[in-house]
Amino acid sequence: MSHHEHPSDAEMIKQYLKVFTWLFIFTALTVFAAMDWVPKSWGEIGSTVHITVGLIIAFIKAIMVIYIFMHIKFDSKFLRAFIFVPLFLFCVLTFALNVLGP
Amino acid sequence: MSAGLSLAHEPVVGVPHGKLAMWIFLASEIMFFSGFFGAFIVLRNSNLEMFSHSAAELNKWLALLNTAVLIGSSLTMALSILNLQRGNKKNFQLFLGLTIVCGFIFLIVKTIEYASKFNHVDEVFPHGIYPSSNVFFAFYFTMTGFHALHVICGLIPMIFMLSKSFTKEGYNKPVKVETLGLYWHFVDLVWIFLFPILYLIFPAHH
Repeated sequence: MSHHEHPSDAEMIKQYLKVFTWLFIFTALTVFAAMDWVPKSWGEIGSTVHITVGLIIAFIKAIMVIYIFMHIKFDSKFLRAFIFVPLFLFCVLTFALNVLGP
Repeated sequence: MSAGLSLAHEPVVGVPHGKLAMWIFLASEIMFFSGFFGAFIVLRNSNLEMFSHSAAELNKWLALLNTAVLIGSSLTMALSILNLQRGNKKNFQLFLGLTIVCGFIFLIVKTIEYASKFNHVDEVFPHGIYPSSNVFFAFYFTMTGFHALHVICGLIPMIFMLSKSFTKEGYNKPVKVETLGLYWHFVDLVWIFLFPILYLIFPAHH
């Protein structure tokens, strides 16, 4: 079972801080994504577009937390199944229900 | 004892039993919250107008503050684990203490938010906002309530570990703290999805 080498402490702290910063940037992006930027002429599809963008950003944030903070990047590949399979199913469920729309 | 046999580690995946059990538990937790999110989206699609108007009653800025607090707590939790693994007791105590403080700030903000809903009176909600007010608020209180319960469940062992670390024998079980860390990061993950879905619910265009 091959997995990434555990980096040095300094490198690890650097990665934590990087993820921490990106999480804030993506949170700001989520707030901007919720603003009224979709043309009114799009009707109800506009609402679906909004929530889809919000969910995509949330999934990117989730993957960063799982990979670095939860150490999946450095742990056994076998463990990835425990988080990515249900997360994938969750992703399919939310996107499918959302795209089906009103 | 032969090299391959160890009671502390699961032989196939090579991770401690407790950690593996936590991953299995977290997988089941994802499915638990998926049910709520799925039902929420379906009901939202059939009541766009009502969901948009109800979401407008929520305080986005308090939720944003709580998002920042939880992201910060994830960082401090990761740093506390790293310090315990390196035997740096003082920094472990500092970062675990900060994580606990963040957890309490989150709960205080949530309490303020709930109180403002109960005391909210206007033409649409003349008796305050409660889970019975409408479907949106039933989901809002249920989902955020379960999430807050998860925060409380995470804080209890954290307080135990921190107080134990101040005793003579100290607390030197990095795997247990790491396992608790997984749980705490998961609590952060759930909030990452709750924040846009509930608070930044997007306007219905008609």
